[in-house]
Amino acid sequence: MDLNFTPEELAFRTEIRQWVAENLPADLAHKVRHALRLSRDDMQRWARILGKKGWLGWGWPKEFGGPGWNAIQKHLFEEECALACAPRVVPFGPVMVAPVIMAFGNAEQQQRFLPGIASGDVWWSQGYSEPGSGSDLASLKCKAERKTTGRGDIYVVNGQKTWTTLGQFGEWIFCLVRTSSEGKPQTGISFLLIDMKTPGITVRPIILMDGEHEVNEVWFDNVEVPAENLIGEENKGWTYAKHLLAHERTNIADVNRAKRELERLKRIAKAEGVYDDLRFRDQIALLEVDIVALEMMVLRVLSAEKSGKQSLDVAGLLKIRGSEIQQRYSELMMLAAGPLARPYIFEAMEAGWQGDLAFPAPLLPLAGTFFNMRKTTIYGGSNEVQRNIVAQTVLGS
Amino acid sequence: MDFDFTDDQESLRDAVRRWVDKGFPFDRRHALAKAGGRTRAVYGELAELGLAGLAVPEAHGGLGQGPVEAMVVCEELGRGLVNAPYAHAALMSPALLSAAPEALQAEWLPGIASGETLVVPALQERAARYQLSHVATSARAQGEGWLLDGAKCAVPGADEADAFLVPARVSGGPRDAEGLSLFLVRAGDARIAAYATQDGGRAGDLWLAGTRAQRVTDDGLAALELAVDVGLAAHCAEAVGLMDQLVAITVDYMNTRKQFGSTLAGFQALRHRIADVKMQLELGRSMSYFASLKLAEPAPQRRRAVAQARVQLGQSMRTVGQQCIQLHGGIGCTDEYIASHYFKRLTMLEMTLGDTLHHLGEVSARMQDTAGVFA
Repeated sequence: MDLNFTPEELAFRTEIRQWVAENLPADLAHKVRHALRLSRDDMQRWARILGKKGWLGWGWPKEFGGPGWNAIQKHLFEEECALACAPRVVPFGPVMVAPVIMAFGNAEQQQRFLPGIASGDVWWSQGYSEPGSGSDLASLKCKAERKTTGRGDIYVVNGQKTWTTLGQFGEWIFCLVRTSSEGKPQTGISFLLIDMKTPGITVRPIILMDGEHEVNEVWFDNVEVPAENLIGEENKGWTYAKHLLAHERTNIADVNRAKRELERLKRIAKAEGVYDDLRFRDQIALLEVDIVALEMMVLRVLSAEKSGKQSLDVAGLLKIRGSEIQQRYSELMMLAAGPLARPYIFEAMEAGWQGDLAFPAPLLPLAGTFFNMRKTTIYGGSNEVQRNIVAQTVLGS
Repeated sequence: MDFDFTDDQESLRDAVRRWVDKGFPFDRRHALAKAGGRTRAVYGELAELGLAGLAVPEAHGGLGQGPVEAMVVCEELGRGLVNAPYAHAALMSPALLSAAPEALQAEWLPGIASGETLVVPALQERAARYQLSHVATSARAQGEGWLLDGAKCAVPGADEADAFLVPARVSGGPRDAEGLSLFLVRAGDARIAAYATQDGGRAGDLWLAGTRAQRVTDDGLAALELAVDVGLAAHCAEAVGLMDQLVAITVDYMNTRKQFGSTLAGFQALRHRIADVKMQLELGRSMSYFASLKLAEPAPQRRRAVAQARVQLGQSMRTVGQQCIQLHGGIGCTDEYIASHYFKRLTMLEMTLGDTLHHLGEVSARMQDTAGVFA
């Protein structure tokens, strides 16, 4: 047992830290530090900087052009990016669909799609949830019918996806679609890659309670998708999607961002005069303990992955705890602002906004962040679904 | 970074576990508790395994093992619900004596290592709660030695111990950080009134009235802080063992007990509860590792880390203990059934060497701008 990183791991961290310090644009870091609105260009600018270095696919193996880092190196990279206030990489391309294409796609698909993901040039979206299929994802209905045409086989897709994060920017979308209604719901699902410029696709905004356009509905009306865009075998899509979920593991806990936001909470609490109020300060102390405990749990998983000696089945716990912590720090920041959290000024979320205020503008985004964070215990399998999964592991039934 | 145990550590774990399985069944534990909680014989059996000298330097006849080995042993003693004052006698006392002059160490440590001598810290005073500097017991020099006046409460294993390590004040007021020394008092020189404890062990009060003592160190507070952190890390580990076993017992019960035509495991309200219990267990285990792995750090980092760990373990002990009783239903409330004994031990442990609110205060007072495992 050893809590310390090896000299090699420490050197690796220094290398990453230096590179991030030299390459992360200051205006982007400023926006992230103050939770200001990020544009499509902001997000893609950082993605392309990483892409040029070969680090946008930081979890990728060498054979697909990734750096081939182990679990601890990946964690250190994510931590350095988070602590430096880099924008979060939009995960749908490099973190979510790429591993599926690598594991189950054919060579042609790999050559066609992976370079655009690795460079950050192509914006991917995720088409999983449907209005009738939230936590019960396998009940999805969006239909894809295979047809033979003069131009080769196609799938005709009809239905609706929802909660499509940043889908307004999407160029491609990976979808779970129903290709069979025989047998169990899970066995009739296929994994399809769809060009979002295809005729018949409509993207409509959903405005969340923070007033922001983050998610969308995506409608498919007789959308013709070449059959060569099917990943793996027809009706095996659920298996591939589960592989993808298993790929999230520790980063779902988002503990690195939590550490950064705890620092921000302390700064806000000091500026607003509540850091010396013991009743308030103790709440921060409790959160600090929660974050250290979560980080230790994440490190245990990484160590187990690295050594392969023990298996730790705690992905559900990490998701539950990580999301609760996200909600808590955003709540405490809002509470630290207190009465000054109430003003809502849409424009103030833009960097460089100059308002006429008798209080600090950085307090303005706090309530919105709190409202936005309600999603964290709901998405990615609600925390109640996670508890079902944890209970099954614990009880063995 | 590595959280695997070495083969030697696994063998140590197996040795303790084998002894528990063979030598310390619940019947024996239950009978000992009912008879007043005397456990000197049990401690002797642990000593035969070499465990009394686990943390004593090899030069003084011990095994000279570190915090991770102590953690492994304490986890297993927790799992087995072993009611001997192991953390106090085998871990805290050697930590306190590490501040003693060499001659005093040579006089006492070999006996501690072999288990022949039981030396326990006597820290608690009536109004001190968990403040280590709150010591009203006074010490005055007389010739070569010292005389102590005061009283200590709830001293572990009081009427089975051979000697006590006693903080007393040579100068200053009852709450001053300065002026604290640590003394060694032989059991025969003090008046002791012992009693059973709620968690199946034994403790007692110690009256010192012009009682003869040897001085261990004049830097009493630093020695106490180190020893208490050693004790807290050991208690975190014991709690993990206790919780691990209590959860296993509860899962077993949930898969067996039937109501409304279904096992308890079939009810979602109860499934979610056991998931929450599992969460607290794993967070607790993570922070128990953290406490033990931070024990060798300089005092400020060590103190902060142990307090953080103890806040987590305090919450874990309460949630796991209380919810596992609730998950059992009526049988969980009985004396004859094992679960209540785990619960009582967890409950008392949560209040030993500082409760959760106390440690939260420590974390709160010691917060830095940055936080995290490596802060």
